[in-house]
Amino acid sequence: MTMRITEGMTRRTVLQDLGATKSRLTQLQREISSGHRITRPADDPFGTGRTLQLSGELEGFKQYKSNVDDGVGWVTATETALSRITDTVQRARELLVQGGNDSNGQVAREGIAAEIEALTEAVKQEANVTYDDRYIFSGTATETPPYALGAGDEYAGNEGTIQRVIGKGVSIGVNVNIQTILGNGAAAGDDKLLDVLRDIAADLRGGTAANAEALRGTDLERLSANIDELTRVRAVVGATTNRLETAGTRLEQLQEASLKQLSQTYDVDIAEALVTYSSEQAAYETALRSGAKLIQPSLMDFLK
Amino acid sequence: MGVSTFMGLQTALRGLIAQQEALDITGHNIANANTLGYSRQEVTTSASRALRINTGSSAGNGKAELGTGVDVTGVTRARDRFLDLQYRAQAMRLGGLAARVQGMETIEGALAEPGETGISQELQTFWTDWEGLANSPEDSAARQAVIEAGKSLGVSLAELNQQLTYAAEVAEGEYASIAGKGGEVEAKAKELALLNGAIRSSMTEGAEPNDLLDRRDLLLDELSKLGQVSVTEAADGTVEVGFGDAAAPLVAGTEVTWPQELSEPKGKLGALLELVEPGGTIESFRGELNAFAEGLADAVNAIHTEGGGPAFFTYEAGKGAATLGVAVTAAEVQTASDGSVGGNDIATAIGALRGGAVDRSYAAFVTRVGTEMNEARSGETNAQALLNAVSERRESTSGVSLDEEMTNLQRFQRGYEASARAMTALDEALDVLINRTGRVGL
Repeated sequence: MTMRITEGMTRRTVLQDLGATKSRLTQLQREISSGHRITRPADDPFGTGRTLQLSGELEGFKQYKSNVDDGVGWVTATETALSRITDTVQRARELLVQGGNDSNGQVAREGIAAEIEALTEAVKQEANVTYDDRYIFSGTATETPPYALGAGDEYAGNEGTIQRVIGKGVSIGVNVNIQTILGNGAAAGDDKLLDVLRDIAADLRGGTAANAEALRGTDLERLSANIDELTRVRAVVGATTNRLETAGTRLEQLQEASLKQLSQTYDVDIAEALVTYSSEQAAYETALRSGAKLIQPSLMDFLK
Repeated sequence: MGVSTFMGLQTALRGLIAQQEALDITGHNIANANTLGYSRQEVTTSASRALRINTGSSAGNGKAELGTGVDVTGVTRARDRFLDLQYRAQAMRLGGLAARVQGMETIEGALAEPGETGISQELQTFWTDWEGLANSPEDSAARQAVIEAGKSLGVSLAELNQQLTYAAEVAEGEYASIAGKGGEVEAKAKELALLNGAIRSSMTEGAEPNDLLDRRDLLLDELSKLGQVSVTEAADGTVEVGFGDAAAPLVAGTEVTWPQELSEPKGKLGALLELVEPGGTIESFRGELNAFAEGLADAVNAIHTEGGGPAFFTYEAGKGAATLGVAVTAAEVQTASDGSVGGNDIATAIGALRGGAVDRSYAAFVTRVGTEMNEARSGETNAQALLNAVSERRESTSGVSLDEEMTNLQRFQRGYEASARAMTALDEALDVLINRTGRVGL
């Protein structure tokens, strides 16, 4: 026996079909207007979890990138300061060679000594350089200038390292411990730059044959050794700059990859959604039209 | 045995009466075409008892049966009990899943995930602020920023927790209003008991009270959306209705026993109970949210106190989501374990928590809410489709088809007219007999 079909059934079927199409249209509309495939966790629970993870990852990459940029700024400031210190020390070396020459009288040597002292002060001033209001050569004591200007040559900072995180679990030290170059002055006798510069000034002023010998011999050697050390440290800083820049480029690539993944998980394919929307809309209109035709007629229209 | 002269009139009258009753029932069907729960009715007729007559013929045995017309034997309703059982089973499932979806929608909405306003975004901001602080540990604005981000996380967690409480309260309130004294269950039970009484007295008199039966079936359908209904029919026409896992029958004869204790009523009440009961959905969501809040606080505090500093977050154990707060001032925010102004190992380590177990535990929580919601939604769609299919079949059996009723109207009207015509024909025959017979030559 065929199924009896009543008006109620026809009406309900038409309504249900219209409702189903309409709800698909609404969902598509929501996706298209928000631009997201997932508008609530239940749309795709695992996609939602993945979206949260990926957007966290993306935030992380952005932050690493900003850490790298900050690190580059810091290292550039360091490099500039070290380059100025090198220039100053080169000038001191020229003066030393000049002062070691016995053709200079004591008066001339006194003059050179005064200039060396001024250069020493300049070196300390360079060491007190700041980046973003922070002393970059004071270790982690960034609010304390590493060297007081004037006679005292004691390093006032600490040996802390300033780290920048440039990737998950990867960090890089961006500061230079200036104490290993400048040292703690003549009182410490550590053969570092300030000690040597103070000794040179003292030898220039000393005026004895031994002083003149030292100027030509040990002082020159010790100063050259310090210049070598400066060059070595600058090479390290240069390498850090390279590492940061490489990391920056890599982070941009990672960020892009992660953004792409996020977009694949979370974003709606607009072209596809629009095509689906149009076909659903056509289906809806057809359902409306056929529904209207189906509901209208009855036997009553034909009975006399 | 002879036959009465007027027997034919009687036969025609029976026909008129039967056709008229059939017309009446057709009218009743049409009137109730859109009545919820109505089953189409049919007049059942049978040929009335025949008269044994002598034919006076020598052929055969000289006997014959002379038909006397039609008798209306009853009015039946088109109903399939098996479909009723199927309908109620699906209605119970749908009632439960729909209530579950409705109850959890508040929670899903409050999550606001994935999006710009959810907790995951705040969590990312929190980590970013710590990393920002790591880049400039001397900056007091950066310290204030981590405090504000921490507070804002606490507020959002407390709000979400509040939404869970609210969802539980709504579900509890709805349960009480349905199952409590004077609620929907009791009202329906009372009506069922009244109907039982009325049906019993009709049945005792031998009549099938179709409309009362329809009404009772409709009440049972509605009741089965609220919980599991078991129906046992007694010989006197009454039904004993068991509800959920209540100890005593909800309705027995004309007696109602309500309210009763339910632990697993199924249907809508079952879903509401499952949402709010200890160990139920909402409590387990809250447990996961608390575990996340406390995991976050513990992970941050463990690093923050490394240099001997104070804990960053405070919370009341077991109520982490509701009580998470920031315990430090800007000056007390720790950035370096050695206490140096420019050191950033603590801030860096806290920032590095991003993407770790804390983030994962929140993502897992959201995924779980989504999964449960998704299951409930697709279950609801599925149950709705099954219920529609059963409804369809039931409607096919019991529903009023106007085309059919119009045809019947036509049929019975013609039947009535024809019976009247038969009566006219007899009348004319009798007219000849009574008025003209014996008037020869007049």
